[in-house]
Amino acid sequence: MKEIKIALVGQPNVGKSHLINSISGATLHVGNFSGVTVEKKEVEFERGGYKLKLIDLPGTYSLHPYTPEEKVTKEFLLNEKYDLILNVVDSNQLEKNLAFTWQLADMQHPMVVAFNMYDEYARQGGEIDTDKFFTLTNIRAENVSAKEKFGLEELFSKVIKTYEEKNIPRVYYSEIVEEEIENLKEKIKDCEFSKRFVAIRLIEDDEDIYKIVHEKPWYSDILDILKAAKERLRIEYDEEDTKTIMFEERFALSKGVVTQIAKKAVKETLTEKIDKILIHPILGLPIFLFIMWAIFQATFSLGSIPMDYIDASFGAFGEWVGGLLPEGFVKDAVVNGIIPAVGAVVMFLPNILILYLGINLMEQTGYMARAAYVMDGVLKRFGLQGRSFIPLVSGFGCSVPAYMAARTLKNPKDRLITMLVIGFMSCGARLPVYVLFVSAFFAPEIQGNVLFAIYIGGALMGLIVAKILRIVLFKGEPEPFVMELPKYRFPKVKAILFDLWIKTKMYLKKAGTFIATASLIIWFLSSYPVDKKELQNIPESEQQTYILEHSYLAQIGKAINPVFEPLGFTWKETVSIIAGLAAKEVVVSTMAVLYHTPDSDETSKELIETIRKNIPFATAVAIILIIMFYSPCLAAMGTFWAEVPQWQWRLFYTIYPNVFAYIAALIGYMIAK
Amino acid sequence: MRLNELNIGESGIIKKIHAKEPLKSKLLSMGITRGEKVKVLKHTLAKNTFDIEVGNSSIALREEEAEQIEVEKI
Repeated sequence: MKEIKIALVGQPNVGKSHLINSISGATLHVGNFSGVTVEKKEVEFERGGYKLKLIDLPGTYSLHPYTPEEKVTKEFLLNEKYDLILNVVDSNQLEKNLAFTWQLADMQHPMVVAFNMYDEYARQGGEIDTDKFFTLTNIRAENVSAKEKFGLEELFSKVIKTYEEKNIPRVYYSEIVEEEIENLKEKIKDCEFSKRFVAIRLIEDDEDIYKIVHEKPWYSDILDILKAAKERLRIEYDEEDTKTIMFEERFALSKGVVTQIAKKAVKETLTEKIDKILIHPILGLPIFLFIMWAIFQATFSLGSIPMDYIDASFGAFGEWVGGLLPEGFVKDAVVNGIIPAVGAVVMFLPNILILYLGINLMEQTGYMARAAYVMDGVLKRFGLQGRSFIPLVSGFGCSVPAYMAARTLKNPKDRLITMLVIGFMSCGARLPVYVLFVSAFFAPEIQGNVLFAIYIGGALMGLIVAKILRIVLFKGEPEPFVMELPKYRFPKVKAILFDLWIKTKMYLKKAGTFIATASLIIWFLSSYPVDKKELQNIPESEQQTYILEHSYLAQIGKAINPVFEPLGFTWKETVSIIAGLAAKEVVVSTMAVLYHTPDSDETSKELIETIRKNIPFATAVAIILIIMFYSPCLAAMGTFWAEVPQWQWRLFYTIYPNVFAYIAALIGYMIAK
Repeated sequence: MRLNELNIGESGIIKKIHAKEPLKSKLLSMGITRGEKVKVLKHTLAKNTFDIEVGNSSIALREEEAEQIEVEKI
């Protein structure tokens, strides 16, 4: 079957990913763009005897890229092979979006436009005449709504038709500009891009094109003509910068086309009304803090409801499995090693899902951008900016995507500072440890608040560190803050449920594979070696303690323990904390193994009890502080290393959180004592 | 006058973008171009960050960036 490779391009917030999710019968692959860690989504599906392959490129405002992600899009469009460009446009913002469409049209590739979010536009009384648009630009277009799933099939038949007819856009600027383009085209000889595209990009000082053209034998022939052309345009438009001239040209063209093809919609006022309250000059910040507080309260109080059920099921499951297996090593390993440890981790799944749901809702409704606006002033004081806010909040979910989200920061200094403090935003995996310790040591009424304090305290500490880094290591002005505030949208329930389902699946997979293996290792190291002769001399009730105290793990733990002794740690805590470097949930599963006594019918909920009995309060405080600040898991560290090429920063990142955590824990321990 | 001198609710026509590249291209591509109408919807208490309306979109920017945009009050 013949494949049509389609580059999916559009400005940010036009609903591109929504569109991809709405295609029925499509298979989705998620990978990375080669050489960089920007997520690359590809979908494949069959229509009209073809295999259509859509490649979702990062949203970009123009072909003059600003952020690293926008560069990825431009590089793809310039250097990769594809058959067709599918440009997604927000019907509600035609003028701005079409100004980018014209830049794409300049490339002279077969192209189709999707006027997305047409449902909203039509509801406000708007209409777009796609036939007229085709007549004017020779670009086939379709009104679609990814949300309400209409127009998509018609869109794909237009894609196929455009592909078969090799239909090239015919978009023309004003006569003055076209004249200069024609002059230049005569001198441009063989080139991998269309002559028209090269001429236009040279006029508007596109450095990427300059670099390519520079190598061509005909380069010197065009210099004089180019200079003269730019000079004439400058005079004609009374503007020094030819790039600005082209932007204005495209904007004027957009306006002209829009008046011909579209019936204007009534202005949507809901967003403005909501914003009057949510980003009110005085109320904005308290409202934001309240929303964050509410999310953490829900995480704790709602999340604790299913805990008992999960706990009971794992207890019953363990007994059932125990009944099936013959006595011996395997039964021991499964019933005492793996099942309780995995159970202890799975128990926290509801908490994590609620936290993710909160972050997800903020993003989907459009509130996240407002939070960035509200927080910008505060963040600026700490040497950061509003844009850093999104990676920082994502850090509460998981540091891995947070490091990637930092790509929206253009300035390398801002980006590095943000990435260095992301670890201070406690990720979802640390939540089980907090919940365990907070449940064990604080009264039920204040648990939610303590948890909130842990998160806020971590975040504040992160901001202070950011400020110190800015002053000591990264002198200089922070990057400009310019950010679109998208319209408020009702979140799509299906998309959110799907996302939570993926999270659940991943968490359970991690619990069933990685955590299970880790607990098996921990269990083995904590149960062996057993000196059978010695054991006979010890009363049965003390045998278990004896085995544990003489195990490999105890030997390792005791060897390292002097370092942690000032914090009141026994070797058990030391081992748990170090195991947490693999993944934070492992701290809980390790404790579940180490504090487990097989003669009692212990379940994971009782782990909380055991912890309360065995660990002094001051040590618990020290543990919480260490978890808050020390290095994140290996996966997160790996991501940071992949994102930051400089060795000195990698080294710094690997060492400083641990030093910081140790000092913080020491101070906390002394105060709590 | 400059955009940051407008008060909440006031509008102006954009005269010139004084910002340097690549910020200039960014502003232009977001629809902040000569001749467009711009309205200050909101700013934070200390006037650090502005929420402006251009075309059909609302854009957040800082005082420093707003200062780069020359407008004529209407």
